[in-house]
Amino acid sequence: MFHSRLLASAALGALLLGATPAVTFAETPPDTLIQAWSIDDIISLDPAEIFEFTPAEMAGNSYETLIGYDPMNVSDVFGKAAESWTVSDDGKTLSFTMKPDRTFASGNPITAEDAVFSLVRAVKLDKSPAFIIGQLGITPDNVEDMIVQTGPMTFDFKMDKAYSPSLVLYCLTATIASVVDKQLVMQHEVDGDYGYGWLKTNYAGSGPFTIKDWRPNEAVIMERNPNYSGDAPAMARIIYRHIPETATQRLLLEKGDIDIARNLTAVDIAALEDNADIKIENGVKGSLYYLGLNQKNEYLSKPEVRQAMKYLIDYDTIANTIMAGKVKVHQAFLPEGFLGAVNDNPFSLDVEKAKALLAEAGLADGFTVTMDTRNTPEITAMAQAMQQTLAQAGIKLEIIPGDGKQTLTKYRARNHDIYIGRWGPDFQDPHTNASTFAYNPDNADDAASKPLAWRNAWDIPELTAETDAAMLEADADKRADMYVDEQKYVMENGPFVIYAQEIEVAGQRANVNGMIIGPSFNDNNFAGVTK
Amino acid sequence: MTTTRDWLLSDRPASRRQAKLGQSYRTWLDFRTNALAFLGLLIVVALVLMAIFAPWLAPHDPLVGDLNHTRLLPPLTEGYWLGTDDQGRDILSRLIYGSRITLAVVALVAVIATPVGLLVGTTAGYFGGWVDTVLMRITDIVLAFPKLILALAFVAALGPGIENAIIAISITAWPPYARLARAETLTIRNSDFIAATKLQGASSLRIIWKHIVPLCMSSVIIRVTLDMAGIILTAAGLGFLGLGAQPPQPEWGAMIAGGRNFLVDYWWVAAMPGMAIFIVSLGFNLLGDGLRDVLDPKRQK
Repeated sequence: MFHSRLLASAALGALLLGATPAVTFAETPPDTLIQAWSIDDIISLDPAEIFEFTPAEMAGNSYETLIGYDPMNVSDVFGKAAESWTVSDDGKTLSFTMKPDRTFASGNPITAEDAVFSLVRAVKLDKSPAFIIGQLGITPDNVEDMIVQTGPMTFDFKMDKAYSPSLVLYCLTATIASVVDKQLVMQHEVDGDYGYGWLKTNYAGSGPFTIKDWRPNEAVIMERNPNYSGDAPAMARIIYRHIPETATQRLLLEKGDIDIARNLTAVDIAALEDNADIKIENGVKGSLYYLGLNQKNEYLSKPEVRQAMKYLIDYDTIANTIMAGKVKVHQAFLPEGFLGAVNDNPFSLDVEKAKALLAEAGLADGFTVTMDTRNTPEITAMAQAMQQTLAQAGIKLEIIPGDGKQTLTKYRARNHDIYIGRWGPDFQDPHTNASTFAYNPDNADDAASKPLAWRNAWDIPELTAETDAAMLEADADKRADMYVDEQKYVMENGPFVIYAQEIEVAGQRANVNGMIIGPSFNDNNFAGVTK
Repeated sequence: MTTTRDWLLSDRPASRRQAKLGQSYRTWLDFRTNALAFLGLLIVVALVLMAIFAPWLAPHDPLVGDLNHTRLLPPLTEGYWLGTDDQGRDILSRLIYGSRITLAVVALVAVIATPVGLLVGTTAGYFGGWVDTVLMRITDIVLAFPKLILALAFVAALGPGIENAIIAISITAWPPYARLARAETLTIRNSDFIAATKLQGASSLRIIWKHIVPLCMSSVIIRVTLDMAGIILTAAGLGFLGLGAQPPQPEWGAMIAGGRNFLVDYWWVAAMPGMAIFIVSLGFNLLGDGLRDVLDPKRQK
């Protein structure tokens, strides 16, 4: 009896002790920023391979690219690891000079050798983002002749043609142009892999933070870089927690267990708006939401039908209800913020006009068509809203749901009727989108290059030539005009119903300041965060 | 009125018809005394009526909503008594139309799975030997898989859609009926009346169909009624996983899946179809229980 009572009181005491932390406010440490994000898309931390949203942001905060731009004003390009550059008279060679007296997080000095090594390595490894450098005429075979060190702090970057200087510079702001620590990486080289096996899960950069640890589907931990050449960040640590459920993120944010929630839905945003402890920060991203209309479909290949489809989307309502706070209406293939972007939106829901167009095409009674739809809540909701407005003109839209892989595989094989998708630009130059929405060098089924225009079987030899020409135009104003013309043409005639541009939303605790949400994910910056 | 009643309850029926009707009437009287079973019957009848008269009962179009004005209205809003969903559609109207899908699934599965189960079970039981072994091992194999998982696999192979969901559920639903029918058959296959029929030269098919199947029917019907709740849940489960009815069809499981994203702030979008599934499943279960009580010949009176 005595023993059991003792045990019982001990158990009660333990319970009370255990309960105490739950009673106190679960505040995050003052020098640590904790974020909840769905980070399951990370497959590598190697800048030569990173092509996904979340690792791009981590690389943006831990590596330095050769060149950077102001996320608030994209046209303001400046050197990051490079101090200056000159363009040769024939426009085919850029000569870079590196910033002096700077070191990597490891303590090794940053020299031109590292910059050349990083670029050559990226081209030789030939991972998904390698085309960003490769499109400038640099291949794994010729890279050692094209990117050449000319002194301890200088190197030449040669191309096969005189590409527009802004295109080249924006390519060198991409994650793939991050400068990696040659000495450190080569210590871990195995069988001539340029340290690829090691860098996949490790870090060799010079940014404000270092990547300390990555536990897949659990967390990424970043720490302040003591050797960073710029102002030391206020935060000693940034922790990304993998929390896929948006409702959970919201609850954690409300309780103060995290500082920033990254995947809030429109519903969450509306619910948190009145909460004084939380503020909603946002930034316009470059990603576009669009429908791809396969031109192999007998109905969708009619120009009147393509136009009618554009009058049957209720752009404003989708942006104001289902996607409130997460998108803005945008209809041109260059997102707002890009050189030459067309920001007026000529189309709106107009059922009568659409019916007239369909009658012109001989389809007054409408038709039935399928749409491959990724089964995420937002995409499904938008698809259903479109299904309703299309039905008003007699177009019966059948939604075929599938996971991202299924729908994308079908789309890439161009076996769809309509595909509802999201497209993110790969770098900040207009060519990145023009080369996919308005470029289709070969419309054959076995074509080597498969841009979005190819995926929708849109045969456009003239437009392809224009895109090629714009790539080489040196005069920025002339170049912008060329892209404006292309966008207007695609808007009127193209098989793309572009309907929205993404707005990235971050729900933050009220005491968090200084997060920069840039136009692309590697521009999201935490170096200036305080709390 | 009393004369009809007396005629029905007569203990000396003058014709076969009178005897049959009298038997049915007695069963009905028996059934009516069970309040819970009667409640189950009422729910099921209400479901059937709702499905038949859906276009007259539903206050709004189940497929078209107004995103700008009627989105996510709470329950008890005038004109939208159960609230509206994220597409601005009236949940009550969707539930009413959804009853057609639910009922169609239940009816079709019963129509497809029951005969298959009966046929396999009675054949195996009647012939015995290697026929029995082969058929029952096949049944065992199907039984060895969890129902929903097997249905998932079939739908994944056939492609999502309500028709394929019905086929998939039917494929997984027949083995218990086969088991049951076989057990019943084993108890009667050696009876004298079967032997007598055999001596008269009746074919196996005739014996199974005319003499064995009718005797298995009552226990199978009870089992089917009790399984209906399970069938509804499986169909809703497939709908919830996006493999059953496709949008914009107002299938209840799919409606819950759609409402799940709003659970924290707009509970009714998922709760209302959940309630509907709950009530209908309960109705079928109560009805099945009641039927078992009155139809079981071995039950003590």
